[in-house]
Amino acid sequence: MITNFRYLHASLISFCIHATIFLLIYGIFSSTTPNKKLISKPLQVEIKFDLPNKNIAQSIPPSKSIPSPKIIDEPIYSRSDSSKTQLKINTLYESNLTELLSQEEEIEIIREEQEIAIFAQKIILTIENAWMKPKNIPLGLVANLRLKIRPSGRISSVDLVKSSGNIRFDNSALQAVRRVETFNFFGSIPKPLYEQEFKNISISFNPSI
Amino acid sequence: MKNFFFFILLTLPSFSNAELFLEITKGSDDPFKVAMIPFQGSSGLSKQINRIILNDLKRTGEFSMLDEKLLLPLKMVDEELVYSDWKLLGMDFLVTGKITNSSGSIEVIYEIYDIYKQRKIRSSKVFGIPNQVRQLGHYTSDGIYESITGIKGIAATKILYVNEVKNSKQINTYRLMLADSDGANEKILLSSSQPIISPTWSPDGNRVAYVSFETGLAKVYIQEIASGKREAVLAQNTQISSPSWSPDGKYLSVTLYQDGNAEIYILRLRDKTLTRMTNQFAIDTESSWSPKGNKILFTSGRSGSPQIYELDLRRLNPKPKRLSFEGSYNAKASYLPNEEGIIFVHRSKDGRFHIALKYKKENFIRILTEAKMDESPSVAPNGNMVIYGIKEKDQSLLAGFSLSGARFKLPASNGEVREPAWSNFLR
Repeated sequence: MITNFRYLHASLISFCIHATIFLLIYGIFSSTTPNKKLISKPLQVEIKFDLPNKNIAQSIPPSKSIPSPKIIDEPIYSRSDSSKTQLKINTLYESNLTELLSQEEEIEIIREEQEIAIFAQKIILTIENAWMKPKNIPLGLVANLRLKIRPSGRISSVDLVKSSGNIRFDNSALQAVRRVETFNFFGSIPKPLYEQEFKNISISFNPSI
Repeated sequence: MKNFFFFILLTLPSFSNAELFLEITKGSDDPFKVAMIPFQGSSGLSKQINRIILNDLKRTGEFSMLDEKLLLPLKMVDEELVYSDWKLLGMDFLVTGKITNSSGSIEVIYEIYDIYKQRKIRSSKVFGIPNQVRQLGHYTSDGIYESITGIKGIAATKILYVNEVKNSKQINTYRLMLADSDGANEKILLSSSQPIISPTWSPDGNRVAYVSFETGLAKVYIQEIASGKREAVLAQNTQISSPSWSPDGKYLSVTLYQDGNAEIYILRLRDKTLTRMTNQFAIDTESSWSPKGNKILFTSGRSGSPQIYELDLRRLNPKPKRLSFEGSYNAKASYLPNEEGIIFVHRSKDGRFHIALKYKKENFIRILTEAKMDESPSVAPNGNMVIYGIKEKDQSLLAGFSLSGARFKLPASNGEVREPAWSNFLR
């Protein structure tokens, strides 16, 4: 009977240790997996792409002094923007320097996010304009494409990653990309941002959104 | 022999006129732009084959073909394809080919280039025999169509229809006709002084079934196309109509009037045993098998108006499931080949009859045609085209459309034309 209790004890401890290890490992992986984030939700076409920065941005508590990322048309380096930052620096001059630095970082991240959103929106609009939704297709079809884009904006390859199950719908998506051929605004995308976000993009054709 | 040869040459131009029988009245909204350099070949047949292929491609409604005049300065020499030239012309695809004719066999070799991807996407060979030039052209164009659209081509399929002609004494003759899918190459399968209705294909395309009133009573006959041999499917002295072949070719669903009103039965062709499928005081008719063979559609008046129902044959004593709820008349339904939806005749509120589509997952119908009296739709085996009957100035003729928006018309040759039935793929 005593030995049985010992075994029970040992197995309980073993279980706890294993569970802790499992949870730790799971935590590491689960925090790295959701890097495919949806950046914007337009009418018919969406872009999905790698966005490692988004996680960091979300983990920082939002501050009122930071311009809202929702208004994507606002110029990124506007005067009001920088004056606000200036004011903030003045008032907080004697406070913790590291806090300030982190806020600077924060602003930088949001600026970048805005920039990404603007370019993503441009890509979406270009493709939407080139897309002719086929007639008489059932509702609820979604097709996903993956594009490889050169720094010049030329689409170097298109792959159908997920078929909608309807050939005509898939064809229409591929034809839209064919028609676009080159995104002429790619020259204005900063090199690091291009490398990081716009070299490979996934596009989802989803007329039901 | 020499005379015979001359005869062929002389009749060639009229043959090629006949090829233009099916007219495309409107193309797809989003066609692929395709350039076809006339296939090289020395024989006189090359020209004819080129014309067949080009017409087939145009007739699909899915392509906008580059005007031949614009091709002249761009003649492609082998291995010297300059993609940018074709891109400037806005082309999506380029088709080139060669026709050789030696010792009684013709060979078409063709290549398709994707201008955008800048590579060859297909290189194929099609063999044929001289007296089947049309078929050879159709096979070639079907291959081109499939490579570009991903959808199987139907140029090499055939259609059945009923043709009613009046002679000078106003006496009617009814003819069951067989033709290529473009309307050309017509053959009379049966000619009768009494009406012929509801023609339908066996799945292998070797036989047809239809209703003939030659005995004064509606009777279903099966006829072999090649030999012309025919027989009534049931000897009983009862009305029988609306045949539809099961996809495995072993059964025929029919409407029988032996119980006083129309009921659906399934007839096993091997031993002529009948299984009753419906039991209702209302009319049940116009049965049609699902492509997988496990369901049948039919029209029933059980709700007070003609509506479409589905029977699941895998169940014991299946209960009909109503599929149409829109309006007071939905009939003559058939499945799309992928069973994604059904095509049928719908009467709209203004009393017009249209061809409509209802997807299984949707709770509304899509009206696909605009005329007044559209009837008896038949879906092509690739599911992308539908042929149906229309009335124009009180004359019945055939028209068609593709789901992607193209429209066709088969101008009536002689008399009334109705009840088209599209064959399966015949390869």
